[in-house]
Amino acid sequence: MTDVPLSAPGATAAKARRRLNPTLARYLSAFRTPRGVVGLSILGVLVLAALLAPVLFPGGYDQQGPNALTGPSAQHIFGVDEFGRDIFIRSVYGLRVDLSLILTAVPLSMALGTLIGLSGAISEWLGAGLQRVLDVIIGFPGLILGVCLVAILGPGWLPLFLTILLGGLPTAGRQARSAWLTQQGREYVLAARVLGVPRRQLLVRHVLPNAMDAIVVNGAVWMVIGVYIEAGLSIVGLGVQPPTPSIGVLLNNGLRFVTQAPTYIIGPGVVLLLLSVGFSLLSDALNEAVNRR
Amino acid sequence: MIRFMMRKAPSVVFVLFASSIVAFALPRLAPGDVAVSLAGTDPTPANVAAIRGELGLDRSPVVQYWDWISGLFHGDLGQSYRLHRSVASLIGDRLESTVELAVFATLLVIVAGTVLGVLAGSTRRRWTRVTFDLGNSFLVATPAFLTALALILIFGVYHRWLPVSGEVSVLENPAIGIQYLTLPAVALALSPSGIVARLLQTEMTRVRNEDYVDLALAKGASAKRITLRHVLRNSFGTAVVSIGLEIGTLLAGAVIIESIFNRNGLGQLAVSSVQSRDFTVLQVLILGVVFVAVICQIVTEMVLATLDPRIRLGDQS
Repeated sequence: MTDVPLSAPGATAAKARRRLNPTLARYLSAFRTPRGVVGLSILGVLVLAALLAPVLFPGGYDQQGPNALTGPSAQHIFGVDEFGRDIFIRSVYGLRVDLSLILTAVPLSMALGTLIGLSGAISEWLGAGLQRVLDVIIGFPGLILGVCLVAILGPGWLPLFLTILLGGLPTAGRQARSAWLTQQGREYVLAARVLGVPRRQLLVRHVLPNAMDAIVVNGAVWMVIGVYIEAGLSIVGLGVQPPTPSIGVLLNNGLRFVTQAPTYIIGPGVVLLLLSVGFSLLSDALNEAVNRR
Repeated sequence: MIRFMMRKAPSVVFVLFASSIVAFALPRLAPGDVAVSLAGTDPTPANVAAIRGELGLDRSPVVQYWDWISGLFHGDLGQSYRLHRSVASLIGDRLESTVELAVFATLLVIVAGTVLGVLAGSTRRRWTRVTFDLGNSFLVATPAFLTALALILIFGVYHRWLPVSGEVSVLENPAIGIQYLTLPAVALALSPSGIVARLLQTEMTRVRNEDYVDLALAKGASAKRITLRHVLRNSFGTAVVSIGLEIGTLLAGAVIIESIFNRNGLGQLAVSSVQSRDFTVLQVLILGVVFVAVICQIVTEMVLATLDPRIRLGDQS
């Protein structure tokens, strides 16, 4: 990818801008900054590896070998685990769990949070009431919320998904609600209402754009936190259950053998770092793109 | 101060009430009948009914909630039906471990956060500042469990300087206890101290541009006096707030850290009670976390109010 100077976008970018919705084009411009490019490349490789895992390693993540707990070698670059399974293959399959959680739960959370934030437009009473519900969610620090959900549902994919989903609601909800509260009194919004602009159009055209930037950046930040929520809950043993691997499950297993095979946790640890660095760079790039005007 | 507290009371009571409802609802939302699972492998209807009567599950939820809450107020935390012990004694056994960890980590956050923040906020040299900023971003971005893994590999496995698993009570044997406590507390404290340091630094940079700092300079006050007396004192507000808020995060993080370092604290109790579906224990622990977090928040606001009369008297303007 060539470096296009930011002040003078190239011909392709100009063409793209003509066709695209300007807001969307602004978000996409984040991917042309150095951070955006690096972040997107890291995530691209990880997503591709996760998607292609069954093709690359048709043997699956459960194939056992003759050795156990040996360090990295040419054949097994992350080493093998307590059952002689290749840790690299398990990490790649583990990515499928992490990415499937984050890439579904976070966008859904932001969308739902936005709807909740805008619900004040239907009735002020409803908006304020839902805001109180979000306050209660904030009262439960990330992991405690997860512990409650696992207690109800039992460990697995679903409680992790719900923890990331519910945990992200309050911030998105507040951002959308504050946009609604500040815009609803403005003259142009009142004028549009008097002219009989339908409420849905009013929200989409006039209120939502004021909150969109903050919510998109917050969504990218929440993806990093989502990675940590999965890892944290899995490390204490409340994540996806074995033999299914996730990055957190691998760290949990590796910790048990940390004195015998210290290299066990390094591979999955690096994958976790790549995930969080990738999403962090993405959120930085989006933040930069949004604030550049 | 009393009027200030009165103004804060309704929201505090609401959060505590709502979280008590959530804690109370947990076992009732979970699938399966608690009484059936407690009755053993071959439950007879009579057996189940007896257990249900004993637990009070045959009464209305409102009565059950009232019994539970009024019990809590009288110091009766309930019984664990898995471990056949009172919840109070279970918690009492493990309280010391978690309190030691939390107190030590909080002290580290206060000391490290303040020192780093003041150092970064006092320097004007560009490269020193860049170094501090980079180091700080690294601290803030690394979650406690990753720090813990790195610390274990470096100081526990590679160098074997400090123990990485288990614990010794600091009260009984301070010399050994501190060794067991060091790695978990450092792991828990690093990220919050980065946050505190960053806030303090930003605030100090802002305050340094205020007119009264120029005045102090014109008066001939020494650089040290300006930093300590005029800048730092007026920057502490945000740092105090962030320390108060970080304690809640610290407690949640303790769950993971205790598990990684095999410390037998309240976090481990919470995890094992989730795994064995021991809801009477879990309910009390969850309510306890929220309670402590709320108390920390109130204390924070009281400290702030003492520092700043504008908050104490309320913004009437």
